[in-house]
Formats: sequence, structure tokens, C-alpha cells
Amino acid sequence: MKKLFALILALAMVLTASSFALAEDLPTITIMFHGSNVTDDTAVLEAVNEYIADKVGAKLEVVWGTWGDFDQKATDALTTGDSSIDMVFTCSWSADEYNKYAKDGYFVKLDDLIAEYGADLTAAIPESLMQAATIEGAEGMGIYAVNGFKDTATQNTWDVNVTLLTELGYTLDDFKAMSFYDFGDLFAKAKEVKGDSFYPFLVEPMVLERMVTGSIIVAGDSGSTNLLSLYLNQDDVSAEGPYGNVMLNKFATEEYKKFVEKMHEYYEAGYVDPALAVAETSNDTRTNAQLTGDYLIGTQSYSFGYEKQIDRGIEVAFVPCTEPYVDTTASQGAMMAISTASEHPVESFKFLALLNSDPTLMTLMNYGVEGVHYTLEDGLVKFDPDARATYSPWTNGMGNVTILPDTVDEGAGFRESFKEYYAGAKAIPALGFVFDTSEVNTEMGNLSNVAAQYALALDAGALDPETALPEFLAELDANGMQAYLDAANAQLAAYLGE
Amino acid sequence: MQRAKKSKRRWDAKNFWLLTMVMPGAIWLLLIRYLPMLGVIISFKDYKAQKPNTFWNNLIKSEWVGLGNFKFLSNTNTLRMIRNTLLYNAAWILLVLVIAVLFAVMMSELKNRFMAKAYQTMMFFPYFLSWVVASYFVLAFLDPTSGMIPSIQRSLGLRPTQFYMDTTWWPLILTLSNLWKNVGYSSVLYLAAITGIDTTLYEAAAVDGATKRQQVWHVTLPGIRPMIVILLIMSVGKIFNADFGLFYNVPQNSGPLYPVTQVIDTYVYNTYANTHNIGMSAAAGLLQSVVGCACIVATNLIVRRIDADSSLF
Amino acid sequence: MDKAQKRYAGLNTFGPGAQAVFHICLGLFALLCIIPFVFVIIISFTSEDSIRQIGYSFAPLSWSTQAYGYVFSLGRQLWLSYFNSFLITVVGTVLSVIICILYSYPLYRKDFKYRNFFNFMSFFTMIFGGGLVPTVVVCKQMLGMSDNYAALIVPMLFNPFNIIVMRTFFQTTVPRELIEASTIDGAGEYRTLIQVVLPVVKPAIATIALLNALAFWNEWFLSLLYVTKNMDIIPLQYLLMRMQRNADFLAKNAGMLGADAAKAARNLPSQSLKMALVVFIVVPIACAYPFFQRYVVAGLTVGSVKG
Repeated sequence: MKKLFALILALAMVLTASSFALAEDLPTITIMFHGSNVTDDTAVLEAVNEYIADKVGAKLEVVWGTWGDFDQKATDALTTGDSSIDMVFTCSWSADEYNKYAKDGYFVKLDDLIAEYGADLTAAIPESLMQAATIEGAEGMGIYAVNGFKDTATQNTWDVNVTLLTELGYTLDDFKAMSFYDFGDLFAKAKEVKGDSFYPFLVEPMVLERMVTGSIIVAGDSGSTNLLSLYLNQDDVSAEGPYGNVMLNKFATEEYKKFVEKMHEYYEAGYVDPALAVAETSNDTRTNAQLTGDYLIGTQSYSFGYEKQIDRGIEVAFVPCTEPYVDTTASQGAMMAISTASEHPVESFKFLALLNSDPTLMTLMNYGVEGVHYTLEDGLVKFDPDARATYSPWTNGMGNVTILPDTVDEGAGFRESFKEYYAGAKAIPALGFVFDTSEVNTEMGNLSNVAAQYALALDAGALDPETALPEFLAELDANGMQAYLDAANAQLAAYLGE
Repeated sequence: MQRAKKSKRRWDAKNFWLLTMVMPGAIWLLLIRYLPMLGVIISFKDYKAQKPNTFWNNLIKSEWVGLGNFKFLSNTNTLRMIRNTLLYNAAWILLVLVIAVLFAVMMSELKNRFMAKAYQTMMFFPYFLSWVVASYFVLAFLDPTSGMIPSIQRSLGLRPTQFYMDTTWWPLILTLSNLWKNVGYSSVLYLAAITGIDTTLYEAAAVDGATKRQQVWHVTLPGIRPMIVILLIMSVGKIFNADFGLFYNVPQNSGPLYPVTQVIDTYVYNTYANTHNIGMSAAAGLLQSVVGCACIVATNLIVRRIDADSSLF
Repeated sequence: MDKAQKRYAGLNTFGPGAQAVFHICLGLFALLCIIPFVFVIIISFTSEDSIRQIGYSFAPLSWSTQAYGYVFSLGRQLWLSYFNSFLITVVGTVLSVIICILYSYPLYRKDFKYRNFFNFMSFFTMIFGGGLVPTVVVCKQMLGMSDNYAALIVPMLFNPFNIIVMRTFFQTTVPRELIEASTIDGAGEYRTLIQVVLPVVKPAIATIALLNALAFWNEWFLSLLYVTKNMDIIPLQYLLMRMQRNADFLAKNAGMLGADAAKAARNLPSQSLKMALVVFIVVPIACAYPFFQRYVVAGLTVGSVKG
């Protein structure tokens, strides 16, 4: 009995020792992605680890965050100071919002690391993206995340069901000549042809409001319901808007009043699905109707190549509202930060730099292993649908998408035209400005609750602006709207004055 | 002399063994409930990452902000959300109590045992359906386009009610939803309590010529009184906490309904979603606990005056 | 049966009129409880086109079994999650019931010296908590509950609500004389508990076990908090919730995600799939329910006519 025990003990010791030897003392670095649909990453990680062993000097592990669970998992990992997560996705719109989390000390300042190990990275990413990532963080002005090179401009478009438009006797050019305020006849006719339960105007109410009034999202403003409007110059987005570089209370402008009055008219006439005015049914309803082509005019935030990804059984055209513009929100759209709790920031940075500059690694991480997940046809990537189903990360969330090869679906030359399209986009005058709300945090919380009560229903036209708008404005005032606005404008003036 | 010594030793042994029974639970409580309570000080701090970035270090070194995190209460809708939370909870505590006890008594008195079991099983189904699923069900009735009630109204030539824009019906809808979800759960507890009543008590009452109704009144209800009181006290402790899913998902988070649907929990959720201020949400939780605690102590005091045996502590 | 016996039996039960009223009240409410589940089953057989056109409805435009086809095509992940749900529920229920009995029994014993202390220790946590973030820190970083089954079971092992309920059951059903008699016989504390007390409180144990089993079966948030890499241990509820959350997120943030999101939205699991999963989740536990119920209702001899 004793002998047996000794034998087992010896065996266990040998096994432990050999497993240590196998690890070769390479540290493990862990990265957390957003929006993944990955169930089997064994083949990919094996290939990646072989590839990066010398180049990075670490072994990679991945947490494949999904759309629904990333926010909770990322904020938990950061606020609990979890050292097992080294790198984490961040951006201007996720819960681990780049500017706030950098300011609160959760992200490593990368400037020194870039100077030492980042030559390839700076060569691969446009200077403008580096600038967009340069913010006032916990350690002062600097870069706190590697900015992914993806669609970097915002462009809102009318999403037109051309099939139905033609059926109604209009051409696309007819439509292009119309403005939001002229849609009435078109909708009336659609209702006549398609029946009473057909809703021709399929909108994301908050996006529609920005499209019609010509305002943009102010980075740092209350997220779920924006409170501030910065007006664009519709003719030249790089020039000052009609009110100059000043932010206004979104709901107190003449433009807004005119918009909600018209929208209420459309709503009352039955052109808008009432479900769009209710927070939790709005998005589902819109997505469903869009997918089945059950609409005439919709709204869509456009990005290059969007047409290639849809299949609605109808002919669709995207009619731009403005030219594409580069604002803070879009240029901080997908980034990768290193957590200050990480024990391996240097290896992590080396990995991020390699991922964003080395086509082999980027392709491996994104498209998988050649021969397993895809094959090459005339230099184009053709996916194996079964293998791809077990390994589909979110391409735009990973980093520099411009170093990826084109896919069969996209066609040859896609990346080149993609880069060209966004290189041509103009920057708004306030590009880079982020409203730091730490001084007016209480006001923002309270105001966002007031806005949640009114804004969506007003934007969708469900409330009568005659009574609801004054009520809304009075409540905003009572909860500190002016202080909030003043703080924002003081910061913008200081930012532009620099 | 010797006898006293012996009894004392036995007394110690008894406490020792009883203590070993409590230990697994006590250790769990210490580690998983009491240790994290140190984190309550987040409520009074501006929690940020420090150097080095570990949770406890961040907690200690973050700046004190006094009552700053409680400032979310300084808005024009504070009274409204507190009123909604308290009124709904108070009404529902009483309603659920009365209906659940009534159902439990009825089930215990059914002659047809098979049906009694069938009813009880069915009453548990709502517990499995999340509020999200329940909200689809409500939507099937109220949806302005395809919902059953607006459809009927339309076919009668009436103007369909815009349920998700109109506050009128929501106190009723929320109340029905809450009863639907919670009555089954409570009634199974009461039923189990009735089961535990000594049957000889009924026989004795019957021998005394008590009718069944009198038996219920004088045997069943007194028999489950401790359970009623305990469940009541515990629900009073949660009077400041609203059932988030009920107030968020069932009304589809519709803004114009806020005057009758906004409660503390949904307000805090909304605020947190926009500010990501964990100090604020910790402060809100602390506030709810303090109020709940005060309510429990007060109720318990009253109960102790009336019936010391039934009180919580 | 002579006259006197008849009268006695009559005193032991409500008359036919009252019985009918009971059936109507209970029957109506039970129906109300079951209809939403029928609704879920209907949605699970509804075609996606019908949902997109008229939403959720009792009378869909067209039917489809596609959702169930999808559920089965989840294959390994489905059966693994099913297994995990069972494992977590069974282990969790057994352990939590044992802990609950062991903790609440001494609280019932008036002669337990530290009774008030431990009573308060448990009760206090029902009202006060450290909040989510500190709890995650303790469980994950200090106790190592991360990507393992322990993380999905241990944080729910103890429930102060159940402790108080169990203590109340002890108080109302176990006469103190029983324990005194047993201790005078010289039985140890554990033997008294197991051989004398437990048989008396069987319905209460079944009830607590039921409540715990339901709680473990329904749990998904722990998976969200503590499972990051090892998706082989997630239960069925989390599989469902993840689909739900992914769909919600995509719909809300479509504008921010670029062209990829359009593709992702197209490939989302359908509503009917989610409802089919709900059916998969509810059916096993509903089948297990009568097992617990046997102890609860079998103890009910009050209403039955003896002899």
C-alpha cells in the first residue's frame, strides 16, 4: 500500500515537473473581444501561439465576449482590478467607455510603449486615428488604446425601398429631391396601395432627429438619450455650423420643434408604427420590418460596403443625408486598451502592435486557419461555412481591418476602395472633443431620466408637442440643464482655444 | 454537586454539537456575504483605479466624497419614484398575502386530491417564465397594431387605446402581473405550513361540533399564523426594492408611462446606464437596505408586542 | 355508516357548494398561470415570417417546426448545457438543503446558547449586501470561483429567506417535547435531528428543496459573472439569456457597428427559437415538480375523509 502511494506521488511529481517544462516560462496574455460568435478556437490559437511565441514572447488566451455579455464582463474585469484580463476592447459607445475609463485610471498610457515597440504600428495606422485616441487620461495627455483602422466616418442615410417606390410611380431621383417635410404625399399613396396596417416610415427616431435637424452626437454626452446638439454645416461638414461651435439643448431649438410637429403629423396619419415610440419594442420592430422589406423609407447609419451585407428581397438604395464626416464618436469606434491591472503590459502591447500591422496574424485571428476555415481563390478568401460558423469574431472590433485580404463576397479591390472612401471623409471642426461630465455627473443622471420619459416618444411623433414639449423643457430646466450645457460649452471653448 | 457538574458538561456538549451544525452556513455567510460588505464604503467614495490597480487598493485609496453619491436623489422625480415603489409594494404585500392564504386553504380543503395537485402545479408555471417572456404575453394583448384588445376595439369601430402611451391602465396591469407571478409561490409555502398542522387538532374540533368554517378559523389560520407573520415581515423589509423586470420589461420601458411605472430600481438602472457611476448604484442599494432594515425593525417590534413567538428576532 | 359518523364526516369537509366555488377560483387562476406557457409553445411553433408581420399572437399566420430543428442543431452545446443544468440543480439543491436544515434547526432550538447571534447573522444579510462588484472580487479573486462549477453553485448555497422559512416550519410542526424526550433517551444531537425531527418536517424539506431546485434551475446571472473562457460548463438558461441579450444589443447598437452588424442581425436566432428553448427549460422542471409535491400534498390529510 505504502509503495503504491509512493509510486503515485512520484508519478504526480514527474507530471507536474514536465508540464512546467512544457510551458517554457512564456507568460500568458488574455484579450477580451466584443461581439464574437466563436465556439471553437483551438486550431486558431494553436497557430497563433506558434506564430507569436518569438515575436511577442507570450502565449495568447482569448475571452470571446458576445454582443450581449461584453459590457458586463468588461466592466466587471476592469472595476474589480482583475489581473487575468490584460487587453480589453473599448470605444466611445461601449460600457467601458474609452474616455471615462482612461480618465479613471483603468487603461495603461501607451506613449512610451509606442515609442519603444510601436514603429510598425504607427506606420500601419493613419496619424488621424492616433490623434483621435490622444486624450486627457489619468496620466495626462496621451494615447490609452490602440485605435482600430475601420470605418472612421459617420454617415446617416435614407434607406429607400426602391421596389415599392417604383411601384408607387416615383423614381429615386424624385425622392432625392424631397426633404423630410415633403414625404406626406408619398406616404399617403403608400398607405393607399399597401393597406391600412402598412407603416411606410420605418425610422430609428433618435437617428432621424439628427438627420432632420442636422445635429451630431457629442462624445461624452448622456449615452442612451443624447441631451446636447452640435449643429453641422450641411454644405461643408468641415466648416462651422449655423450656431457656430456651440452646443445647444437639443430639445429647445426651433429645428427640433419643427421636426417633432411634423413627426406628430405623420404619426397621427398612421405613417409610423406606434411600436417605434416605445423603448423596448422600437428596435425589434424596426429590425424585423427592415429585414423583410416591409417599409418604404427608413433610416440607416451607413458604412462602406453595407449594401453587400443585406438581403431583403427588394431593391434598396441608401441616399445620404450629408457627406460622411469624421467626429469623435466615429473615430473612437473600436479600440483595444491594456488594463492597468495587467501584469504583462509590454507583451500585451507587442501583441496589439503586431495584430494591427501584421497581415498574417490579423488574418489568422479574424478569418481562421487557411485550409481549415477558408481557402484562397485568386487571392480572395472563400469561407468554409461550417468552420466559419464555429469561428466568426467581429471583424471591426479586432483592429486594423485594412490589412485583411478581400473576401469572395466583397470582391477584389474592396479594401482599397474602403480606404479611399474614408480617407476622403472630412473632419468636423470639433473633432477630438469629449465632454468630461465628471463635474456634472448628477445632473447628467437626472437629465437622462427626464429625457428617457419624453425624447423617444416625441421623436417618433407619438406625443403632441403642443403639450409635451413645454412640459419636457420645464423638467429639464428644473433638473439642471443649464448647468450641464454651460459646463459642456466651457469645455468646448477651452478645447478649441488650445 | 456532582450532578450539576455533569449537567453543565452535557450542556456544553449540546451547544458544541449545535454549533457544528451552524458552521457550514456561518462560514459561507462570513466569506460570501460579510467579507464583501467592506465594499459598502464605495457608496461614500469616488471609486477609481489606483496604483497598483487591485480592488482593495482602489477601495482604500479612492477619494472620499461624503454623501455625494446620494445626490441622484436631488431631482424633481424623486418623490414620484419613491411613491410608486412604496404604494405598489404595500398594496401587493397585502393582496398577495390574502389571496395566497385563501388559495392555500382552498387547496387543502379540496376533496378531489388529484385536482388539488393539478392546480398547485399549474400555479408554479409563472415562476419559470421570465418577465421578458411575460412581457411578450402582455404585448400580445396590448400591441397597438396586432394586439388583441386594440383589434377588438377596431372591429367595434372604436378608437384603439394606445396602451403604451396612456398611463390609465398600468396600475391595474402591473398589479395583475405581480399577482400572477407571486401568488403561486407564496401559496405553496402556506400550503406546506397547513400540512404541518397536527391533524388531531381538527379531530378534536370536530368532536366539539365545530363546523368546517369554524375549524379553518380556529385551527388552520392560527396554525399558519407564524408563517404569515414571518413572510409579512420579510416582505416589508423589501418595501423599498421594486421588482425590476416587472417595471422595466412589462411596460416595455415606455417613457410616457414613467409617471406610474418609474420606481427606484428602474431609475437607478437608467442613471447607471448613462453615468456608469458605481458609487451611485452602491449608494442607492445602501439606502434601500437602510430603509428596509428600519421597516423590519419597526414591524418586528409591533409583532413582538402582539405575539412574541411569531416575531423574527 | 351510521348517522353520528356521517355528521362527524360532514364536519370534516366543506359541502359540495363550497367545493364548487373552490374549484372555480383555483381553476381560473391556474388557467391564467398556464395560458402564457401555452402562448410560449404557440410562438415556438410560429413561423418567423408571421412574427415579423404581426408580432406574437395566439393565432399566427403560419406554423413552422423550424425552431425545434434549430434547437437540435445546436447539438453538443445543447446537450452539454442540459447536462450542466441538471448537474448544477441536483448538486446545488442537495447541498443547499443540507446547509439550510443544519443552520435553521439550531435556530429553532430555544436552548441553543448562540441562537440569537446566528439568527441575526443570517437575517442581516437578507437586508444588507456588499453589492455586486465586491462580491465578484471575493468569489473570483479570493475564492477562485472562475470558469468552474463551484462558481455556479457556491454563491447560491445559502439563502436567508429559506432559513427563516425553515425555522418557522420547525416551530410550527415539531413539538418541543419530542426533542426533550429524545435527549432524555440519550440520543446525540445529530441523531435526534435525523431520526426524530426530520421525519416530522418532510413536507417542509420538500418545499425548501423545491424552492432551491427552482432557483438553481432558473439561474443564469452567475454564468455571466463567473464564466469567461470555459463555455462547456454553462447551463441552458444562460444559453437562452445570451441569445436574448445578443439580439437586444444588436438591435440597440446597430448604428455603431458598421456593415458587420447587418450580417450579424441577419443571422440572429429567431424569436421562435428562443421560445422553443423556453419550452426545453420549463418542461423538465415541470415534470420534476410532482416528485416534490408528493411530500407536500401527501401530508395533507386534513380535508380527506378518513375511513
